[in-house]
Amino acid sequence: MTDRNDRWGELLRRANGGDAVAYAEFLTEVAPAIRTIVRGRSGDDSGNEDIVQEVLLAIHAKRHTWRETDPVTPWLYAIARYKTADAFRRLRRGPVQVPIGEHADRLVDEGQGDPTAARDLTRLLGKIDDRSASIVRAVGLEGESAGEVGTRMGMSEGAVRVAYHRAMTRLRHLAAADHEKDEM
Amino acid sequence: MKTEDLIATLAADPAPANGPSLEQRAVTGVAMGAAVSIAVFAAFYGPRPELGDALSDLVSLAKTLLPLFLGAMAGLLALRAARPGASFGMAQRLVWIVPAAVAALLVWAFATTPAAQRLPLFVGHSIHVCLPSILLLSLPILGGLIRALRQGAPVQPARCGALAGLGAAGLATALYSLFCVEDSPLFYGVWYSLGILLVTALGAYLGQRKLRW
Repeated sequence: MTDRNDRWGELLRRANGGDAVAYAEFLTEVAPAIRTIVRGRSGDDSGNEDIVQEVLLAIHAKRHTWRETDPVTPWLYAIARYKTADAFRRLRRGPVQVPIGEHADRLVDEGQGDPTAARDLTRLLGKIDDRSASIVRAVGLEGESAGEVGTRMGMSEGAVRVAYHRAMTRLRHLAAADHEKDEM
Repeated sequence: MKTEDLIATLAADPAPANGPSLEQRAVTGVAMGAAVSIAVFAAFYGPRPELGDALSDLVSLAKTLLPLFLGAMAGLLALRAARPGASFGMAQRLVWIVPAAVAALLVWAFATTPAAQRLPLFVGHSIHVCLPSILLLSLPILGGLIRALRQGAPVQPARCGALAGLGAAGLATALYSLFCVEDSPLFYGVWYSLGILLVTALGAYLGQRKLRW
């Protein structure tokens, strides 16, 4: 535990100084710990990896909230627990369950990605910024590769992937918020 | 997307963006909010007559100093609450000085006030000014603080928002106390506290809505 804390703290300090190798090592080493936290909450393995990735993105987006003088593991686990709890809360409210029989004719067109398949996706896309929305359309609906979209929009492939992932997270949040409203 | 790919993508951008720290943002946010509150105070309230005399009396001074101290401590705690896993440190103990002092002042005032005057002093004549004013003067500060805290990552957003509300209300109440002429703890110990609690509740509500990430 302390060993981990020291090692991860050292890696993250180097990452803060701009060391990409140390940062990759840090993320690679914390991923299994995050996976354990997610699995502890879900009890099984299905769909966990999406949540692990959400936690990794959250760590990335909020890495400025760690102070180099603080222990890193409490920070890390607090983020992982928060994001995991958040994800499961959303899943519980989850997509509305309807008997399949009534809607069998409408199932044909629906893809696998959850928010992309939502019937009101167009409306949800209207709520996020145009750039993110067009990335989701291109990658999620039209099946373009991140590289192609990147070339077209003047972004690196990696930037497109991160933007896509973030946009999907926001769409899931929006969909969950909508659902919450419906319940009230 | 595979997790290794995501990690490779994120690792391409190792250092967080250089910018003001959470603390600096909070100080800026509070300062801007406080400037608005002070402007409102100057325009519509103004200091009470003989403010200097009043502040030289310990019991009247307490109605300014206690909320000021509460504001500083709660603001500090709100910042800690915006950093995942951070400990609350000394501030979490020191903040209890305020309710303890208020309780002591209330007991003292109750004991030393003649029975016939207790009720009039407790009810006072400005509850209808006091409560809305504390709320009004808190709002700009609370807004500035919440805005700054959005850059943080509170794992209990409602708690972080409540602490921000407590902090903003403390500062706003200290400001309002310079206008208020009700100097008995039977009045301010109760009604200031109520106003502060209302803003704290508002902060919790705002935190739940605005500080989730």
